[in-house]
Amino acid sequence: MAHPATPRRSSPLSSPRRLLAALAPWALPILLVIVWQVAAHTGLLSSRILPEPWAVATAFWNLAVSGELWTHLKVSLWRALAGFVVGAGLGLLLGLLNGSSRRAATLLDTTLQMVRNIPALALIPLVILWFGIDEAAKLFLLSVGVFFPMYLNTFHGIRSVDPALIEMARSYGLSGWRLYRDVILPGALPSILVGVRFSLGLVWVLLIVAETISAQAGIGYMTMNAREFLQTDVVLVGVLLYALLGKAADLSARGLERHFLRWNPAYH
Amino acid sequence: MQINPIEENHVSEAAGQGGHGAHLNLRGLGKQYGGRTVLDAINLKIAPGEFVAVVGRSGCGKSTLLRAIAGLEQPDAGQVRIGGGGRRPEVRMMFQDARLLPWKTVLQNVALGIKGGEARAREALASVGLADRAGDWPAVLSGGQRQRVALARALVHEPQLLLLDEPLGALDALTRIEMQQLIEALWTRRGFTAVLVTHDVQEAVVLADRILLIEEGRLALDLEVGLARPRARGSVEFGSLEQKVLERVLRTQAQFVDDKEIQVA
Repeated sequence: MAHPATPRRSSPLSSPRRLLAALAPWALPILLVIVWQVAAHTGLLSSRILPEPWAVATAFWNLAVSGELWTHLKVSLWRALAGFVVGAGLGLLLGLLNGSSRRAATLLDTTLQMVRNIPALALIPLVILWFGIDEAAKLFLLSVGVFFPMYLNTFHGIRSVDPALIEMARSYGLSGWRLYRDVILPGALPSILVGVRFSLGLVWVLLIVAETISAQAGIGYMTMNAREFLQTDVVLVGVLLYALLGKAADLSARGLERHFLRWNPAYH
Repeated sequence: MQINPIEENHVSEAAGQGGHGAHLNLRGLGKQYGGRTVLDAINLKIAPGEFVAVVGRSGCGKSTLLRAIAGLEQPDAGQVRIGGGGRRPEVRMMFQDARLLPWKTVLQNVALGIKGGEARAREALASVGLADRAGDWPAVLSGGQRQRVALARALVHEPQLLLLDEPLGALDALTRIEMQQLIEALWTRRGFTAVLVTHDVQEAVVLADRILLIEEGRLALDLEVGLARPRARGSVEFGSLEQKVLERVLRTQAQFVDDKEIQVA
């Protein structure tokens, strides 16, 4: 910061070498796609098992042009967002509460830890009995799954704020909300953001399951529907979409970390 | 300090001289941890503007004494009275580690706990020679610079009593000498009362008007340092005084060893 980095001089030799280094991680996936394309094209690989990459790209394009893709994408995105906001929001609130108050932690933490050990997916039969197969069931499943990583990381973050910093801040006259805002919350933030990242990763996994139970729209519905008609290319479009959305969620979580933890040299 | 209930008493104390330094009065101060006596009925008077160094072997209770004065520990017995200027005296503490908030810039750290104090914080930062680092994160500062920021943070409150808990212990020798000169200069200019806990006898002789030795929770030595300031480390008087205090500190160790030998025999 105070010592601005001198601009790197790219010598004629290092420039192509750096390009090569940047491309190296992509060599294997590209090679695989080429092998796949060749194998499918020559009939080595039946299109019932795996359609050629070009067919997947065409299916993607057709779905995009017809607008079908965006309808499903919108529905799935909305579900993921709603589930994340409700589940992670509650996890954050309870984590803050139990992290800050010993009394609340004594009352609630044991119960929450017991519930945590039930896999969210094991609740599916019960959820269907309670909520039917509507949006409420999906929202419930997503929220429950996303709740725990957020709760645990927030709780742990608040508890592990350096007591020396709290003591210092108190001795400088900070208390109540100001102590919370200036010391405890920022101190817990790295851990809270780990929770956000875990939750964002989990929300897609749960969404896939929730959407394959029963749905009238969404990427999961699209792929299940395509399976019925043996449209393997559309199934693959769905799989790719989930991968892309998961990656996008991860990138946005990392963006949040880079912004909020910019004081930490580990996140530059 | 705002959180120390004992300081309610301070207000009635007589005003200090010039309003800059507070006087400090400890009466029968005692503290125990799990049945072990850490402080044993300490009686101590420190005059306004005096610079007192507390030395002693590690675990002798010198840090606990300082924390009790700061109100960070509740004493089991006795009283801490801090007085000055007729109003609640400002007491600030400098810790061994700088304890800067890593998510706040240097300037925000200095301005901690004062409303709209940015101008004052800049001034304090300039007085420790770090005006140009105001916008930096603490993570990019060196250990010595962090302690200077912590010093600025304490000074911006214009303390009448500054408590220093081995603040230079983790610094390299050259940075330490620089910091000692800085602390002495600021103390001379501002006239606050200072209590410095240190394990470095030379540091005590360089800075203090008075050196206290604590042994097993008790005051074992109370020595006036009559040397003129600024003190030359190389002078004969300096050397002999340092030697004298050091020998006194080490004598306790020799005694311990003797005792053990007697027990074994």
